[in-house]
Amino acid sequence: MRLHKKGSTLQMIAIGWLLLVASVGLLAPWLPLPFPPDSVDLNNIAQSPFLPPSDVKPSRHWLGTDGYGRDVLTALVYGARTALLVSLPAAFAATVLGTFLGSTAGFWGNSGFHIPIVYWLITSLLFLGAVGLASDFPPLWWTLLLGLVAVTVISKPLMRIPMLRLSWPLPIDRLVLGAASLLASVPRLVLILALAAVQDSSLIGLFLLLTFTYWPEPAHLVRAELLRVRALPYIESARAIGLSGGQILWRHALPNAWRTVRTAFPLSLSDLIGLETTLSFLGVGLPSGMPSWGRTLAAARLDPTAWWLIIFPALALAGTTLALRQLTANRITA
Amino acid sequence: MRRLIWGLSLYILIGFLPACNPQASPSDAVRVRWVRDPESLNPLIIPNDLANQAIGLLYQNLLTVDNQKQVWVPWLAEKLPIVQHQDSLTLLTYRLRNAAKWDNGQPIVAQDVAFTLKLMNSPGLPNEAARTRFSFIQDVRLDSADARQFTLVCRGRAPEYVHDSGDYPILPEYVLDPKRQLRTIPLTVLTQPALVSLSQYPVLADFVRRYNAANLDKSPMNLPGSGPYQLTAWRSGQALTFRRKTNWWADQLPVQQPPLLAVPKQIDFQIIPDNATALLALRRGDIDVYPMVPANEFDRLRTSENGKQALRFYTADSYEMVLAGFNTSRAPLNDRLTRQALNHLFNIPALIKATQNGMAYPSVGLINPQEKALYNDSLPLLTFAPQQAEVLLSQAGWARQGAGGWTRPTAGGQTQALELSITYRAGDATFETIALQLRNAAAQIGIPIQLRPTESTLLLSKLRAGDFDVYLRTLSGNPFAYDFSPILHSASIDISNFTRFGTPTSDKLIKAIVREENPARKAQLLRKFQVIMRTESPIVVLFVYRYRLAADRRLTNLRVSGLRPGYDVTTIEPLPES
Repeated sequence: MRLHKKGSTLQMIAIGWLLLVASVGLLAPWLPLPFPPDSVDLNNIAQSPFLPPSDVKPSRHWLGTDGYGRDVLTALVYGARTALLVSLPAAFAATVLGTFLGSTAGFWGNSGFHIPIVYWLITSLLFLGAVGLASDFPPLWWTLLLGLVAVTVISKPLMRIPMLRLSWPLPIDRLVLGAASLLASVPRLVLILALAAVQDSSLIGLFLLLTFTYWPEPAHLVRAELLRVRALPYIESARAIGLSGGQILWRHALPNAWRTVRTAFPLSLSDLIGLETTLSFLGVGLPSGMPSWGRTLAAARLDPTAWWLIIFPALALAGTTLALRQLTANRITA
Repeated sequence: MRRLIWGLSLYILIGFLPACNPQASPSDAVRVRWVRDPESLNPLIIPNDLANQAIGLLYQNLLTVDNQKQVWVPWLAEKLPIVQHQDSLTLLTYRLRNAAKWDNGQPIVAQDVAFTLKLMNSPGLPNEAARTRFSFIQDVRLDSADARQFTLVCRGRAPEYVHDSGDYPILPEYVLDPKRQLRTIPLTVLTQPALVSLSQYPVLADFVRRYNAANLDKSPMNLPGSGPYQLTAWRSGQALTFRRKTNWWADQLPVQQPPLLAVPKQIDFQIIPDNATALLALRRGDIDVYPMVPANEFDRLRTSENGKQALRFYTADSYEMVLAGFNTSRAPLNDRLTRQALNHLFNIPALIKATQNGMAYPSVGLINPQEKALYNDSLPLLTFAPQQAEVLLSQAGWARQGAGGWTRPTAGGQTQALELSITYRAGDATFETIALQLRNAAAQIGIPIQLRPTESTLLLSKLRAGDFDVYLRTLSGNPFAYDFSPILHSASIDISNFTRFGTPTSDKLIKAIVREENPARKAQLLRKFQVIMRTESPIVVLFVYRYRLAADRRLTNLRVSGLRPGYDVTTIEPLPES
C-alpha cells in the first residue's frame, strides 16, 4: 500500500516535471525571458548566476551566462523546445517504423508473406532503375521506366499467366532482423557521428538520423510480442474464417502489442533526448546557433570553472530522463 | 647460491637496459601544445603555420628571420645576398656556408639550390603556392669556380627580393635525384609562364613519379633535410616527436647564434585541440609550453598562486590579426556600400574585451599599428553603428520590407534578398563569439545571418572555391614584406585571394608597393592602399592579437616575439629537474 502510494507520488512529480518542460518548450517564444535566444551579452561573458543586475544593464542573468555571453536560462528554455522539436517526433517516428517492421516480421516470419513472381520481377526492375538513377547510368533509367509501366499497365494482365501467378515467400523476419543487426553492429553514437559528418546540420536531417538508427528498439519488442500473439487460438480462428493476413495483423494482433509500445515509448523518448544532448555536446546534428542543453553543457569546456554551465543543463536533462523512466516503471509495475 | 647470483645479475642488467634507450628523459624533452595536426610536412606545400614550424626543424632555408630582433639573417647562406641590377633584372648572389652538410656528409652546394628551384617549378608536383610566390626567380647561375656560390636571376626589381629569394627550404639532390638527371633540364625551361608537358621530358616525368611516391606529406623522413632535428614519430592527431641529430653540421661551428642553435634533445608537439584539456595538461605538467592561452585562463593563471609558482607568463604584440572577408563575387556583397554597412555591425571594442580580455588591439587595416610610419592613422577606427549600417544599405539600393528583411531589385528585374552566411573554423571560441555577435547585430536590423562553423580541412577548400558569403580567419603578417598580391590581387583569385576582390586600381597599387624601393614613397603608397581597402572593404580587420604564452618555470630562453609562432622552440633550454 505504502509502496503504491510512493509510486503514485513519484509519478505525479514525474508528470508535473514533464508538463513543465513541455509547456516551457512550447511557450518559449512567448515567455517573458530577459534575453532572446540568439543574443550575446559581450559585457557579461561567463557571468555567475544570481548576481544582481548591473547599472548599465538592468536585465538580470538569473542562471548566469556562458563563455559567449549567452543567457543560460534562455538556453535552457529554448533547449527544452529543441528537445521537444527533435526528440519527440523522432521517438514517435521510430516507434511507428519499428512497430510496423517488428509486427510484420513477428507476424509473418520468413514464410508467411508470399509475393507473386510478377511482382518480384517488377520490383527487380524498379530496383535496377533506382540504382541507375543514383549512379547516373542512363541505360538503367529505362528499366525504371519499364518497371513503372509494368506496375501501372501490365501487372494485372500478367497475373493471368499461370506461371507468373506462382509466388515466393518474402523473408521479412530475416530482412528486418538483418537490418537491425547491421545497425546494432556499429555503436549507435559512432554510426550517427559518421552519418552526421557527411550531411549538413539541419533539424530534418537530425530527425531522420535519429529515426533511422533508433527503430530497431521498438521493432524488437513488437516482434517478440507478435511472435507470442500469432500462436494464440483466436488468431487461428481468424485465419479459419478467411480473414486476410493484413486484416488479422491490423485489427486483431497489433492491438495486443499496443501496451508494449506505450510502455516503451517514454524510454525511447528518454534515450533520444539523451542522444540529442550528446550530439549537441559534440557539436554535430543541430544547425549552428540553435540552443540545446547539450550545447550549454559543451560551453563549459570554454571555462571549466563555470559550474553553472554543467549543473543547470544536467539537472534539466536528468530530471526529464528520470521522469520519463518513472512513467515506464509505473506502467511495468501496474 | 649460483642461481641467486645469476638472478641478481639479470635483475641489474634489466635495470640498466632503459639507460641504453635512445629516448630522451622528460627533462631533456620540450613538450609543446599544438592545437591541431599539421596535415602535411611536405616541404613544397607547407599548408599552415604548424607545418611551417615543423618543417623549420627538418629543413633549412637560405635565410631566416630572427624573430626577437625582427631582422632577416643568413641560415644556410653565409650572409645576405649581394644585390646587383642589370636592365630589368635583379641579380642576387649567395654563397652557402662552408660547414653546411647533409646527413650523409656531402656538402650542401649550389646544385642543391638549383634542384630545389626546379622542384618548385616542375609540373606534376604539389607546388602551386611555391611556384606563384617565387615566380620572380627566373634562373640560377652557378659559379664554375665555387660549388657553393650561385646567382639568382630575378625578374624586375623589388626590395623584398633580397629576403624572399632565400625563404624556402633547400632540399637534397642526392636523395631524390641520385643520378643527377634533372641537371640536364635548365631552370629557365621550367620557369616559363606556361607549364611544360611531362611527356616532353621523360627524365622529369620519372622524377615526378619518384617524388610523389616518396609520400612526403606524412613521411618527411624519406627526405632528410639539413635541419637539426629528425621526425621520429607522428601519431596523427596526437603527437609529433622530433629528435635532435647527434651529428648536425652546425655543431662544428665555433659560435652558435640563435638560427643555428638547437638546444632541446627532443621536441614533442602534443596535439590537444580542446583548450580546457590543454590547460589541464599544463597544470599537470604534461606539456611545458602552451602558446596562445585563452585570454581569461591566461589572466586567471597568472594571478593564481599555483600558476605563479609553476609557470612563467609572456606576452608580445603580434602581427597576427583576426579578420572578416566578404565574397565580393556574390550578388549581395558585390558592392562596396553593402560591405561598408556590414563593417559597422562588428562591435570591435566589445569583441576585444570579451574574447581577448583586452589583450588585442584594433587596426584600421592590414598594416599593423606598431608600424607607425606606414600605418594610416588618419583613418578612423571602425565603430559599431547599426544605424549607420542601415543608412549605407539604403544608399546601396536596399529597402527594408516592413519589420522583415532587406531586398533590392536586380538588373534583370528580379528581387534580391540580403541573406548571408558566415563561415569560420569550427571549435574556435573567438570566431564563434564574433559570428554570434555579428548575427545578433544583423538580426536587429533585419539581416538574417546563418552560422557555418566548418572543419579546418574543409574550410580552405570552401574558401578557395568561393563557397561562402562572409568568412572569419586569422592572418599572420610580418614587418618585412608588404606584398598583398596573394590575398588581394585579382591574379590570385581561386588560389589565395578568397574575397575574389581586385580592381585595376588596387592591382596596380599592390604591384607598385612591391616594386617601390624608396621607404618614404612606399609608406605613401601603403597609406593610399589602406584608404582604398577601407573604401572597398573586401576585408575588415577586427583586431590584432597580443600573443600570450605560458611555459613551465624550468624552461628558459624562449625568445618570445610577436612573429609566428611567438617563441623559438629550438633555443629553449630545459633546466634539469632539481
